[in-house]
Amino acid sequence: MLGKSIFRDDAHGKVTGSALYPGDIEKDHFLHAKLLFTGQPHARMIRMDTAAAEAVPGVVCILKAEDVPVNEHGLVMLDQPVMVGLNSKKPFSDVSRWEGDRAAMIVAETEEAAARARDLIEIEWEQLPVVTSPVEAMRDETIIHGEEPSNVYKHYRIRKGEMAAGWAAADVIVEETYQVPMQEHAYLQPEAGVSYIDEEGRVTVEVAGQWTHEDQTLIAHALDIPKEQVRVIYPAIGGAFGGREDMSVQIVLALASQRLREMGINRPVRIQWTREESVIGHHKRHAVTIHTRWGAAKTGELTAIEVEMILDAGSYNCTSNKVLGNAHLTVAGPYRIPNAHIDSYAVYTNNCPGGAFRGFGAPQGCFVAESQMNKLAIALGIDPVELRLKNVLREGEASITDTPLPAGISIKTVIEQCADKFEEPFSGAQVLPRSFQSLPADPKALRRGRGFACALKNIGFSFGFPERSEAYVELRGRGEIDRVVVRHAGADVGQGAHTAFKQMVAEAVGVPYEKVEGVFSDTAYTGDSGSASASRLTWMTGNAIRGAVEKALTLWKQEERPAVGFFRYQPPPTEMLDDKTGKSNPNITYGYVAEAVDVTVDIETGHITIDRVVCANDVGRAVNPNLIEGQIEGAVVQAFGYAVTENLQSKNGHILNPRFSTYLIPGIRDVPQKVESLIIEEPDPQGPWGVRGMAEMPFIPLAPAITAALYDATGVWFNELPLTPGNVRMRLKNTLVPDLT
Amino acid sequence: MQITITVNGTTHTRDVEPRTLLVDFLRDHLGLTGTNIGCDTSQCGACTIHMDSQSVKSCTVLAVQADGADLTTIEGLANGSLHPMQQAFWDNHGLQCGYCTPGMIMSATKLVEGNPGISEAEIRHGLEGNICRCTGYQNIVKAVQQAAGEMGGD
Repeated sequence: MLGKSIFRDDAHGKVTGSALYPGDIEKDHFLHAKLLFTGQPHARMIRMDTAAAEAVPGVVCILKAEDVPVNEHGLVMLDQPVMVGLNSKKPFSDVSRWEGDRAAMIVAETEEAAARARDLIEIEWEQLPVVTSPVEAMRDETIIHGEEPSNVYKHYRIRKGEMAAGWAAADVIVEETYQVPMQEHAYLQPEAGVSYIDEEGRVTVEVAGQWTHEDQTLIAHALDIPKEQVRVIYPAIGGAFGGREDMSVQIVLALASQRLREMGINRPVRIQWTREESVIGHHKRHAVTIHTRWGAAKTGELTAIEVEMILDAGSYNCTSNKVLGNAHLTVAGPYRIPNAHIDSYAVYTNNCPGGAFRGFGAPQGCFVAESQMNKLAIALGIDPVELRLKNVLREGEASITDTPLPAGISIKTVIEQCADKFEEPFSGAQVLPRSFQSLPADPKALRRGRGFACALKNIGFSFGFPERSEAYVELRGRGEIDRVVVRHAGADVGQGAHTAFKQMVAEAVGVPYEKVEGVFSDTAYTGDSGSASASRLTWMTGNAIRGAVEKALTLWKQEERPAVGFFRYQPPPTEMLDDKTGKSNPNITYGYVAEAVDVTVDIETGHITIDRVVCANDVGRAVNPNLIEGQIEGAVVQAFGYAVTENLQSKNGHILNPRFSTYLIPGIRDVPQKVESLIIEEPDPQGPWGVRGMAEMPFIPLAPAITAALYDATGVWFNELPLTPGNVRMRLKNTLVPDLT
Repeated sequence: MQITITVNGTTHTRDVEPRTLLVDFLRDHLGLTGTNIGCDTSQCGACTIHMDSQSVKSCTVLAVQADGADLTTIEGLANGSLHPMQQAFWDNHGLQCGYCTPGMIMSATKLVEGNPGISEAEIRHGLEGNICRCTGYQNIVKAVQQAAGEMGGD
C-alpha cells in the first residue's frame, strides 16, 4: 500500500462542492457573531461603552474581557489575552498591543445586526508609544508586556570552538547583513467556525485548525472548565501552512456558547471572517534581521561563523521562541563548522505577531546560510555544489549544537542528485519572459542565471517538548478481517494526510486500502495526535499506527472481536539548548532538500521569471508519491511568493495591504513553469517504514537559490526579500549595472 | 426586490435586498455552499459560476443583475456521473485543500469549450483569475488538459 498514488478520499466532496468547510456548516436557528478588533497597536483602554450596541435590535449578548474566566492563551506562553478590556482578572489585559487584539464579541440574530452593534461600541483609549522596530524595542524604553522585565524575552547562544583560531584559519571572510520580511499565509479559506452544546453537554467548536487537542486545551483553560467538557471537531480545512496553529475564533466561539447556555439559550453560533479580518487577525512568518560573518580556508573548509539574529516576535509570543530556536540552528546550515558564535534574540514589538509558517524559522536561517555559502563559493572560486559537498555534515560529526545529527543524514545525496538532474536537458516548454502581463520584454534587457541551495529541517517538535501521537486501530470481522477503523486526530489541512494514514494502516494490517475507514479530527473519538506541523504528522502518525496495529493484531489472535489496539507513540526525548553554549540534542530527526533554479531577470523592469526548478527532497519512503509531488510543487510556489511577489507592508503597527488586491500571492502565470520533483528515498531509521517528514523542506532553499541565480545573471547580490520588480530594479540601478540607464 | 433565477435547472423566485451579492444569494438563500468566498475583492475566483453562457465571479455580480438568468454552480455540474473536468481534477491531484477547486473547475469548463487541444499557455492565461495557494498549479494544468481532450470541444 505504500508507494502508491492512491487518489485522495476527500476529492469527491471537493470537486462536487459538497465538502463542508467551517463556513458551510448549516444548523437550525443559528446566531451570528462578529469580533471587534481593537485596531490599536499600543494603547490602554480607559472606557468602553456598549450601551448603543446592546440597544441594536437582534443583539443577544456582547462578550468582553471581564467575561472571560481565565483571560489568557498562547501555544507556548500564556501571554495573550483572549480579549483586551477592563475589569479582567488577568493583569495588564487592559492594554492592546496589536491592532488585531480583540475587544468584544457580539452575538446577534443576524450578521448585519452583529456588525451594526460592533460599529456602535465606543472605546476611549490612552495612546502608548508604538514600537515597531525590534532594535528600538531592545532598548526597553517602552515595555510592551508590563509583567516582563524586557522586550527581549528570549536569547539563544551557540559558543563552539575557539573563534580566534577560526578566524586565523580563514583565507576568505564574507560579512553581510540580511533582512527577510513577514509573510502572510493566505490560505484560501478565511477563518470561520460554529459552536454549540452537543448532546453530551460539551461546548463544541467546529473550526479549521491544526491540532484539535491543543484547541481543546486552550478553550478549556480560558473557560476554566475541564477539558472533557470541550469538544473540537475539524470539518474540511481550507489550507493552513502554520497559520491556523494559534487561536483565531476557537476560544471566543466557545465562550459565546457557554454564555448562551447560562442565558438559557440553546442555539448554535457561527462566525465568518472576511479576508481582511483574516490578514489583520492572525500571525505571520517572522521578519528577521541577521548580521553575519563566515570564514573559510582557501581549500573550501569552513573555519568559523559569527551570527547576530534579531527576530521580530511582534506583540505576542505565539510560537516565536521555538521559531527562533529553529532559525538559530538552521542559520549554520547542514555544515561542519568547528568554531561558532551565535546570538539570537526574540523581541516583542507592536507589530503583528510572528508565528508558525511552513519552515518555522528555517527559511530565514537557510537564506543566510545558503547566501553565505554562495558568496564564499564565488570568493573562493569553487563551484557552489562542490563547496557544499566539502562541508556537509556526515554521520557522527558534531553539528552546530556540538552533537551529531540523528543517524540517516542524507544531505550529500540530495545535493548530488539535484545537481545531476539539473545538468540533464530541460524537457519543459520554454516560456517567453515578460516584463508585464501583456508586454513582451525587450530581449536586450534579459539576463539569465542559475542558482543552487540546500537545507535541513527538523521533523517534530524540538527542545524537550514531550512529543507524542496517539492512534486507535479497530479490527472488525469474524474469521477474517473485514474492516479496519482507524481513529486519529491528525488534521488534514489539504495535504492529504487522511489518505496517507489509511494507506499506512492498510500496509500495517495487510489489507487492501478499501477495507480501511477513518474517524478523524474529533476530540470525542480520538486521542491526541499533536499538530499538523513541523513536517511531523505522517512520521509521528505512522509510528503510532504501527504500534496500534501491532496491539490490535495481538488481540485479534487472542480471538477478541472487535480487536481494538491503542498506542501512544513517544519518540526519544529531545533537549533544550544549553543556556551558555547551546550544546544539546535539540531534535528528533531531520529532513534534507536541495534546489536548483534557472532565472531570467529583466534588468530594465526588475521583473523575475523562474524558468525551471529542480527539487530533490529526501522523503525516506514515499507513502503516496503524487501527494508528495503536490507538496513539493505547492511549497516551491509558496516560496516563490515569499521570495518574489509577496510584500506585506506595515506602518506604525498597522498592516497596509490586508487584501489580495494589494498583497500578491502567486497566480498561475507568475509561477515557475516547471517544478521537477526528485523524490529521494533514503530511509530515516526512526521513521515508520523509513518515512521522513517532507512538506516544509521544499519551501526552504528556494529564496537563496533565486538570489544566487540573480547574482549569476547580473553580478549583484540581493540580501533582502522580497525581490519585487521595484526592489530589484532599484538595487540594480543603485549598484550600477553598466548598461542600465 | 423580487428576482427569478434558474440555478442548476431549478427556478427560484425570492425577495432580496438590492445590495445582495450573487454569491451570498447562492450560499445563504439557496444553501449552495459549494461556491466559496476567498477574498471579498474579486481576486481569488473561488466563487466562479456559470451565468448564461459565461463564467463569472459571483462576488462581483449583484443578485438582481442575475434576474432571469440561467446559472450553473459546482453542485449542478455533475450529471449522474462526474463531469470530465471534475474527474480530471480528482485523477490528476489537481487539488489539495479544495477551497479554490469549485471556482477553478467552473472557470476551466468554460475555458476549454470549443478548444479540445487547448495549449498550456492558453490554460494559464484563462485561469489567471483563479488563485490556488496549495498546489503550485502544475496538476491543475494537467487536469484541464486531460478534461479538454475528453470533452472534445463540448
